[in-house]
Amino acid sequence: MARGARSSPRWAALAAAAAMAVVVAGCGTPTPAPAAAPPDELRLAIGGESEEGYDPTLGWGRYGSPLFQSTLLTRDADLNVVPDLATNYSVSEDGLVWTVDIRTDARFTDGTPVTARDVAYTFSTAARSGGLTDVTALQEAVAVDDDTVELRLTAPQSTFVNRLVSLGIVPEHAHGPDYARNPIGSGPFRFVQWDPGQQLIVERNDDYYGQLPAFRRVVFLFTDEDATVAAATAGQVDVAAVPSSLATATIPGMRLEAVTSVDNRGISFPTVPDTGRTDADGRPIGNDVTSDLAIRQAVNWAVDRQALVDGVLAGYGSPATGPVDGLPWYEPASAIPGNDPARAASILDAAGWVDSDGDGVRERNGVRAAFTLLYRAEDSLRQGLALAVADMVRPVGIDITVSGVSWDAITNRLHADAVVFGWGSHDPTEMYNLYSSRQAGIEFWNPGYYSNPTVDAHLDAAMAATDPEVANRHWRAAQADENGVGFGPAGDAAWAWLVNLQHTYYVDECLDIGRPQIEPHGHGWPITAGITGWRWTC
Amino acid sequence: MALDLLSPVRVISAVGGRVLRLALLLATVAVASFVLMVNSPVDPVSAYVGADVAVIGPEQRALIAERWGLDDPPLERFGAWLGNLLQGDLGHSLTFNQPVTEVIAQRFLTSLALMSAAWLLSGLIGFALGVLAGVQRGRAADRVVTWWAYTLASAPTFWVGLLLLYVFSVRLGWTPVCCAVPVGVTADEVGLLDRIHHLLLPAVTLSIVGVAPVVLHTRHAVVEALESDYVAFARAQGESTAGVVLHRVLRNAAAPALLLQFSSWGELFGGSVLAEQVFSYPGLGAATTAAALGQDVPLLLGIALFTTVFVFVGNAIGDLVHAQVDPRIRRVGASWRSRGRATAEEVA
Repeated sequence: MARGARSSPRWAALAAAAAMAVVVAGCGTPTPAPAAAPPDELRLAIGGESEEGYDPTLGWGRYGSPLFQSTLLTRDADLNVVPDLATNYSVSEDGLVWTVDIRTDARFTDGTPVTARDVAYTFSTAARSGGLTDVTALQEAVAVDDDTVELRLTAPQSTFVNRLVSLGIVPEHAHGPDYARNPIGSGPFRFVQWDPGQQLIVERNDDYYGQLPAFRRVVFLFTDEDATVAAATAGQVDVAAVPSSLATATIPGMRLEAVTSVDNRGISFPTVPDTGRTDADGRPIGNDVTSDLAIRQAVNWAVDRQALVDGVLAGYGSPATGPVDGLPWYEPASAIPGNDPARAASILDAAGWVDSDGDGVRERNGVRAAFTLLYRAEDSLRQGLALAVADMVRPVGIDITVSGVSWDAITNRLHADAVVFGWGSHDPTEMYNLYSSRQAGIEFWNPGYYSNPTVDAHLDAAMAATDPEVANRHWRAAQADENGVGFGPAGDAAWAWLVNLQHTYYVDECLDIGRPQIEPHGHGWPITAGITGWRWTC
Repeated sequence: MALDLLSPVRVISAVGGRVLRLALLLATVAVASFVLMVNSPVDPVSAYVGADVAVIGPEQRALIAERWGLDDPPLERFGAWLGNLLQGDLGHSLTFNQPVTEVIAQRFLTSLALMSAAWLLSGLIGFALGVLAGVQRGRAADRVVTWWAYTLASAPTFWVGLLLLYVFSVRLGWTPVCCAVPVGVTADEVGLLDRIHHLLLPAVTLSIVGVAPVVLHTRHAVVEALESDYVAFARAQGESTAGVVLHRVLRNAAAPALLLQFSSWGELFGGSVLAEQVFSYPGLGAATTAAALGQDVPLLLGIALFTTVFVFVGNAIGDLVHAQVDPRIRRVGASWRSRGRATAEEVA
């Protein structure tokens, strides 16, 4: 490490140039014929290693496919909830009891049948274990009979459906301390071998009740970014997840797939004025400039999101209008076309922000239309976005000071300064957490202390709904209701959402990966959601 | 070794002194590492939650902290850790959800192959080139070797690794692009040749970390020896250059090279962190990176103690071998202990 740090910048530049030359040369020559991969083996370098093992009660499988286990429900390519291990489920009137019927033909790979007791055990265990799946809403899980489970909650929670979608069922009889390293389940694949830090080898579970994968064996390589590109270039993998900044080369025999995501980047605004108030940890709350609706709307109108996509993301992305673009609970009416600096200027004029001293920045009652925008210093993408936004709003008379700092510094200033954040989830809980006034100042949620009783009412109604359609209606109304009230840019403009990334993958020309889901925050493993439907085409 | 010169009493007191110093060193390292980690701004729960921050609530965070025992005050945690340590239990790794001893044992075995291969390579190549440069001082061979050594000394390991990866694995396809074992092959089908094949490139990369200092120090020692009176005397008696080098110079040049080589175990370990990252080689270096990113205090403490012992043993062997090769050390330094102190300072 010291060696790297000791090298002078000039050396680094030379090194980079030489490395580029080698890379370019490497791409110019046709690589030896792709390794004679038998058509029934698939090799993926898409990251996603779970270092603590493959135990769903600790969070394994919350993205993409859990491979070894199967889940009660699943999401199809359009993210609609469809049955998997469950044949049916219903929610009681009060929203407290979820009754799930499970299929009777499912078996774990050790031959024992999957019963309601295994499901109850899985949920109870996950609720108590300190892992990466939040099942704390569960009071108890009870197997009513062999194929019916009752999940009893402490409070109604429509988003609990996401636990049914993401929590792989483990066998009660085989779930011990060794389970994470020897997973057994009823999923499409069977565990063969895991070399930590290197690879995971799985084989098709021919006893699987669902659609059988087209591959007898799948190997997941856990290489870092550079080695992933190298492996793809050398023809050793069939799918490679690479950051879009590295997706510049043409690799013979592979095509580049850019998958849409809600892996978004946006700016949070403190929405309350600075009155000297602090949160429980003494962090200041409020900003006298961004608390003004006109300022937030003007920023939203002044930003040219397509230019951000083209300039900062090299085209691998799409303009973002909200935190949940394209998901089933997205409200298109909350969006604004954006990029209308004249509109931004007139909003500011109408609100009384004028440039009276001719310095190019507007003022009102002695307050300059100026604020600080923080971003995580080591994230060059966020830096690019922050700088570009500052440039875009300057002509309309708003002065943004951009500052790259550590997460630690952001944690101390996130209620008082604007911050570039990245979010994106298949669970609308995230939207609830970002905009509900109940969540103001908790973790990184609702950092700007946004509060609107109408929005709160819709968010709470969505959370309490027992019918998914009713829930989605309220989720949409929170963004913009029939009166135009909502947290979206057309309403309170609590955030200025900027872009959704596209996740880039090199995929073998002979491999059909179907139509991928809109991916959440996190590039790589989510693409496995449809892996049982992947096919060779040549 | 060298027992003819050392009475049993001396040996016991020297060994005892070393053990005592190692114990003190370990205690200091443990306390210092723990203080550093407890005061680190990185919160282990936040590091673990990562991008899932959107949907992991405070109650779940409390469960995670409880599972890892982070709720107790730091002093109590350190006390508990120390108590377990004295019973031989290094604790449980947060990142790998596995006992720390198991993680270190598995990873170190992998690293050991890599580090010993790199260590032998850099020692042999470095010594040979150093002797060549010293004998050929001022001539073309010397210039080339010296220039090459300086270049390597200033080349970042990860960059050298990437360069080799692109040339030999991607363009030429001679070596694998990653890992310590072949892709998609189960453990029972992996042969020794496979392992060596996968070891090759990381070992060469890592050896580059150590080769330059050995070259330069050896060259210096050779030059010094060649200018000495006893070489002039040998030449006057008609001994050829080859004879002079073989009989008068090699042993003198070997002493600093050996000392340096053994005391470079620390640097070897530092370099392996980067080399293993580039080649997805799952050794102790890669585990250190993962532990640091996840603020995995038990594993980091375990690795810190382990590497302390590792480096300490390297230095101790270096002293012994040095004394064995160079008789002057034995006469000047009355015991191993005083000599050990001196070399430790030189190395530091």
